[in-house]
Amino acid sequence: MKAVKGKYYFGGVHPHDMKAISSSAALEVFPTPDVVAISTLQSLGKPAVPAVEAGKSVKQGEVIAKADGMISSDVFASVSGTVKEIKTMPGASGTDETFIVIESDGKNETSFMPPLADPSAEDIKQRIRDAGIVGLGGAGFPTAVKVAPRTPVDALIINGAECEPYLTCDHRLMLEKADGIAQGARYIAKALGVSKIIIGIEANKPDCIKEFEKYDDIQPVILKKQYPMGGEKQLIYVTTGRKVGVGKLPADVGVVVQNVATCFAVYEAVELGKPLFERAITISGKAVKEPKNLWVKVGTPVASLIEFCGGESVTPKKAVLGGPMTGVAVANYDSYTHKTTSGVLLMTAEEAADEEPTPCLQCGKCADVCPMHLMPMNTAFYSAAGDFDAAAKYGNVQACIECGACEYICPARRPLIQAIRKTKAYLRNKK
Amino acid sequence: MDNTIVVSTPPHVKSKRTTRGIMLDVLIALLPCAIAGIVFFGWRALVIELVAVVTCVATEFVYFFILNKGFSNKCADAKKVCLRWVKQFDLTSVITGLILALILSSDVKWYEVIIGSIFAIAVVKMLFGGTGKNLVNPAAAARVFMFLSFSATMIKYGLPAFDAISSDSGTLATGATNLSVLLGKDPASKINALDLFLGSGVAGCIGETCKVAILVGYVYLCVRQVIKWWQPLLFIAVFGFSAVFMSGFAFDSYKFDMTLFLPHILSGGVLFGAVFMFTDYSTSPKGIYGQLFYYIVAALLVAILRYLTKIEVTSFVIILINLFVPLIDKYFIRRPFGYKKEKKVKEVK
Repeated sequence: MKAVKGKYYFGGVHPHDMKAISSSAALEVFPTPDVVAISTLQSLGKPAVPAVEAGKSVKQGEVIAKADGMISSDVFASVSGTVKEIKTMPGASGTDETFIVIESDGKNETSFMPPLADPSAEDIKQRIRDAGIVGLGGAGFPTAVKVAPRTPVDALIINGAECEPYLTCDHRLMLEKADGIAQGARYIAKALGVSKIIIGIEANKPDCIKEFEKYDDIQPVILKKQYPMGGEKQLIYVTTGRKVGVGKLPADVGVVVQNVATCFAVYEAVELGKPLFERAITISGKAVKEPKNLWVKVGTPVASLIEFCGGESVTPKKAVLGGPMTGVAVANYDSYTHKTTSGVLLMTAEEAADEEPTPCLQCGKCADVCPMHLMPMNTAFYSAAGDFDAAAKYGNVQACIECGACEYICPARRPLIQAIRKTKAYLRNKK
Repeated sequence: MDNTIVVSTPPHVKSKRTTRGIMLDVLIALLPCAIAGIVFFGWRALVIELVAVVTCVATEFVYFFILNKGFSNKCADAKKVCLRWVKQFDLTSVITGLILALILSSDVKWYEVIIGSIFAIAVVKMLFGGTGKNLVNPAAAARVFMFLSFSATMIKYGLPAFDAISSDSGTLATGATNLSVLLGKDPASKINALDLFLGSGVAGCIGETCKVAILVGYVYLCVRQVIKWWQPLLFIAVFGFSAVFMSGFAFDSYKFDMTLFLPHILSGGVLFGAVFMFTDYSTSPKGIYGQLFYYIVAALLVAILRYLTKIEVTSFVIILINLFVPLIDKYFIRRPFGYKKEKKVKEVK
């Protein structure tokens, strides 16, 4: 279908996208690492419960941890070999996670589910749950919950915005696996019982837009280059004009949003029976010698990825897992990739400016760029004074999506996201 | 592992603009006014500008030094404090000094400028916590302070002339401001809007007379996105219409005379205030609804008070409305994206 132009929403920033560093590097398969450490916390919600013990031999695609409740997902072995140990250590975000360490035998023997031929809606829903698919955009919400909405929906929106600077894994995926994404989107649409499929792609990826114009049942929408365009509520507004209320879900306005990588995972799960144990990751930043887009197995050590890309060209100032606007900064390369890790960035001092905060000018630029129309300066002001109730009231933090646009624009370099998270933590503890 | 890697909350990329950069933009926008002042009022305008800027920066430095030095008398500590000052110096005091000079008459004495500048920085800005913490606009407050302290020189306005620099004889020709003509009876015949626009032959303050220079500064600020383009326009439009409405009462029978629109908005310090002083970050509301309220109320206040008092009231109104900004900010909270007002359900008795 012919691409149409998306709407504009009030707010947002325009950081330099820096995608040229890695956008021309085709997806490569990263060789099987010797050891993988797979966290049981691979999605939003509860961590999975380990279903294997040390010494057990496993095959690629075998369940090693079972989901605990609805908002949780199964975890699969990404290599074949023996389980070495199950240990608890701090994950990338600093909190303790349980890791299942598997020593690879290098054979990659697989144990997949049987492929589904002409599946029904119920089959697809069950398969999505069995394959442990989570939202691969970054939040990691279990897809099985998303495809079973409580309210009727009439449209499926595929998120191909990839508005985060640096990241190009979705870009490459859309270029190289467009057929798979389209097929996966059709399966999700079937599970939801909708016929309308919209794919939103940011205007800086014209090649991807062209790629998706060839399908008759998918409507491509050209999104303006604006951060955060891939935020769920923003994407729904610019593609359909519907506004998701505060504390409401997309299904409440009749849509469901899925990332392109999630669609591809659904396609693989349905047609190949392959559970989610590997994904595309961008390794980029000016401190990396050869930036690449790689197919990486869950639990791969970050250090080996950097080594594969030629190592550091200069000593980086920051190492980030995920995108530069919302990703987690890590102190060393001892972390392991998750289902939700979309990028590994090594940023030089020039890229990742780390300046001392200066007094707030009260310029109001943070409020001007806020895509949720909040007032971050109020949150920062009141939380610094210890008055978190006022911080929540005058800053409306419950509606914050932590996109980081406010702190990006702040001329005084105030730590606004930190203040917002602190206030949110206070509200959580208060309940 | 390498210890130089920094861990922090996201975002890890930041925009290139810093406080200092924004303040430099404001300074550049003020330059046309400063130069026009020197052209129209001669060297004494330059002296006033320099004295004000230097005094403001020096006052800030002294205040910072005393506050941070503590009881140590060591030379090294003093040096450290000086370095810290240089590191945190963000050009705001330069702007305060320059704005103060531009809203003064060219006839003020140099020591009056010094006292005014010290008041602006020490009392109005630093006592409240420095950059971004001041309740009212330091330059406007200092002007009011000087107006009340040295009223003899503050109400005499020099007549600008294009040859002021070459024919500076030490004493400046002074004249009645156009404001007193405008607010008197039958103003239309005595005022030429083009003269007001160019600033020639009209008595006034150093930086406020040449409206062309102010417009150049306005365009620059808008292009650099330091201020929002609609803010001064809204203020000027509301002010212009309400001033025309108010001045209708000066005629024998009420007359709504739109030919007075341009003379009203072009006389006095309204245009300068609208572009450079009402838009001051720390003393204007942060939400969009608060800003609308602020500019409309301020414009109405200027128009009404100007008609009633027959003097230039812009700086008084700036201080007055600045004091209400914290309240405006508390009352006008932005509604989050997608917010819907909850319908009140009547309780069944």
